[in-house]
Amino acid sequence: MADILCFSRNRCTSIEHVDDQTIRSTCRVQDNLMDAYVEIMVKLPDLELIQAKGEIRRSPQGTDLIILDDLQKVAGSRVGPGIRKIIGSIVEHVPYAESVATLLDECCNGVILSFARDVFLNAPQDKAGEKLFFANMVKANPRLYNSCAALTPDSPLMESLELDKN
Amino acid sequence: MLKFTRNKLATVYRKDGRTLAVHGVLEDDIYGFEVDLDIGLFNLEILAIRGKWNRMENSECPRAIPFLQEAVGFRMNEEDFTRKVQKIVGRKACRHFADLILECCQTAKDAATMILQEEGQEKPPDIEIDELFGKSKPAISVQEKNHPPGPEVTGGMVIDLHVHSLPASPCSTISVEQLIEQAKEIGLDGICLTDHNHLWAPNQVEDLRQKHDFLILRGNEITTEQGDILVFGLEEEVKGVIKLEALREKVLQAGGFMIVAHPFRGFLTFGVGYLGLTKEKAMARPVFKWVDAVEVLNSKVSEEENSFAAQVAAGLGLPVTGGSDAHGPGEVGNYATRFPGLIQNEQDLIKALKKGGYSPVTFRNK
Repeated sequence: MADILCFSRNRCTSIEHVDDQTIRSTCRVQDNLMDAYVEIMVKLPDLELIQAKGEIRRSPQGTDLIILDDLQKVAGSRVGPGIRKIIGSIVEHVPYAESVATLLDECCNGVILSFARDVFLNAPQDKAGEKLFFANMVKANPRLYNSCAALTPDSPLMESLELDKN
Repeated sequence: MLKFTRNKLATVYRKDGRTLAVHGVLEDDIYGFEVDLDIGLFNLEILAIRGKWNRMENSECPRAIPFLQEAVGFRMNEEDFTRKVQKIVGRKACRHFADLILECCQTAKDAATMILQEEGQEKPPDIEIDELFGKSKPAISVQEKNHPPGPEVTGGMVIDLHVHSLPASPCSTISVEQLIEQAKEIGLDGICLTDHNHLWAPNQVEDLRQKHDFLILRGNEITTEQGDILVFGLEEEVKGVIKLEALREKVLQAGGFMIVAHPFRGFLTFGVGYLGLTKEKAMARPVFKWVDAVEVLNSKVSEEENSFAAQVAAGLGLPVTGGSDAHGPGEVGNYATRFPGLIQNEQDLIKALKKGGYSPVTFRNK
């Protein structure tokens, strides 16, 4: 028997720099049960959320359009640590709260990753340069130390950091 | 101009009568990887997991692959499933892999619900939003007891104003008993329990204080739309996220004190230049209008972020404090606050915070 899919989900997040001070982040999910999107506008330099909107176009309940008006309550918060908790509170009473929270979370995560991309564009390709680059990154941001398998104390990328400690 | 895209695809097919096979792919500007999971149709247990990098951030990212196995045996209907994946797979392996695993699991759960409903069988239990973000507890009315005077202190008292214990703070990995033992061991004069949106009962804290013969105070780290605020003297359990202005009103009425915790946590990760954040712009943030002091030494943020917070506080003329923000062993007392006078109870602490003259200190040898 062919292994026919019984369920499929696509989630796409895209981040645009609208102008020097404004970022638009959009996340759309489409699967067998749901078609929904959330869009946020973020202002630099504080990464302040200035606008949030979204729609559920199709859901397990049918194809009636659900406009997610309550998302605008997130305005005034900043994209960064702690935003997940704020999102959880804001969407608590929104239809399909868990799915909407994920969409908002993806939008915020995408904004951060768009800046991370710029950082990694400058990462050296050679081994020695790479070690120095990541050791310096962890020195500047100590919470990254031991935050994943690549940045554990015994990782080669952390060698120079260990030497500094000694 | 398009700056970044992330695409995630999760597909599910029935491997056999009891097992779902889930394939997940993540492709974005930085990362490219795949996972394959076998998931029990009825119990939603992760039975097997395989992962593969296609593109990665650095040459050591492949070290993450063996740690994906840590998720085998996790069940989606278990309490704290999401947090376990984020904490265990996310930290030991890679948070992006953890993210894709969670996407695959959520997809599998929806698929299982659909399959079982179509077949007229029982629906797997839902994971509610409360389980993802933590459930608030009902309000407790409290009154502090009179404490016996503590040991005579010369040169003031050094108190860690910001610590988290398990289970009151699910993100912590250290029990309150261990925290106290370690605080005593390194010579702190006291600690203040500031668990997230959790108010300790005074009798519990009193019992701990007597048992350990050590100054233990109560505070609370409350989430607002403007970030985390350390609150002292508010005898109310605040649920979820509260507007900072509303919190300020409550604290003023209670005669309490508010400190903005780690105000620039994460904001300087990419360097001030990337965001264009200047001291002047930061000083204009609304949060500083509603707090009494600024935490400028916190061991969970970078030196640069602490230093920036200190510059902003100085620019605004706000008092400054230090706290470890301890969440695990060996962290309590990394930073603390030195008070010039004697503090024996929570009233003394609030009086001292309002009076001023205290300073943040590096306490534990880092």
